[in-house]
Amino acid sequence: MGLFAKDKTSAAPETGERGGGETSFFGAKLMVKGKVSGGGNLIVMGKLEGEFDLNGELVVAASALVNGEAKTVSVTVSGGFSGSLTAKQRIQLEKGAVVSGRLQAPNLSVADGAVLNGEIEMKQPSEGKPAAGDPARKQKK
Amino acid sequence: MAKDATSGATSLVSRPMVIEGEISGDENLHVDGRVKGIIRLTGDLFVGVGGVVEAEIDARNVIIQGTVTGKVLARRQLEVQPSGRFNGECTAASYEIREGAVFEGVSRMITSAQPDNLTPAPSAQKSNNQP
Repeated sequence: MGLFAKDKTSAAPETGERGGGETSFFGAKLMVKGKVSGGGNLIVMGKLEGEFDLNGELVVAASALVNGEAKTVSVTVSGGFSGSLTAKQRIQLEKGAVVSGRLQAPNLSVADGAVLNGEIEMKQPSEGKPAAGDPARKQKK
Repeated sequence: MAKDATSGATSLVSRPMVIEGEISGDENLHVDGRVKGIIRLTGDLFVGVGGVVEAEIDARNVIIQGTVTGKVLARRQLEVQPSGRFNGECTAASYEIREGAVFEGVSRMITSAQPDNLTPAPSAQKSNNQP
């Protein structure tokens, strides 16, 4: 880190992270509809609707509302999500998360205060270690 | 250079990311990855080196270091920097095209007589599968 060339040409005031590079960020006042794919992590604070195929971590912040079908390596949800969520590694629902739909991941953690309605499927990676005592199914309201 | 920090934050589409569809909102947007479709912002659009945007764009300032193709409405200014490439049709209140930059296409100026609320191009040009 730190050695990445950071271009200092105009505009884009606070993109300090862009040297490190691979985290995308959709702010609270941004709405994205469509298909999002590619590598890197994504932090969503606004509205996102569509299909996501990410080779990284998806973070759905408390202010965010995500609707659609997401495939990622791991997901942390503190905001709203509805649709289908598939993670290769883990899904983490934080306090305040409101999730409905279908979740699929080898590891799932649901914090107290998260709302989860839907269908859960936990597949262990074939040679993987057990899912560290995570609850297999949870339903909270 | 027509740039003043907007009220809003700046969202970022990083290099490995590809978005096909519509992006809209009250923010600035910095694109280092690829975006195809429609972009409507009240803030500025900045396309970094390596960024590729193929879209119908409506933004305040549009600053290009990468490649932009499509129909652009820059309510304040379109700026194409030396590494930048623009191909398409642009309507802007002012232009800044640096030496080394490529601008191919049609340019129109927004004159002061024109109302500020130009209507964006009526329809999406293509390629987004909206529900």
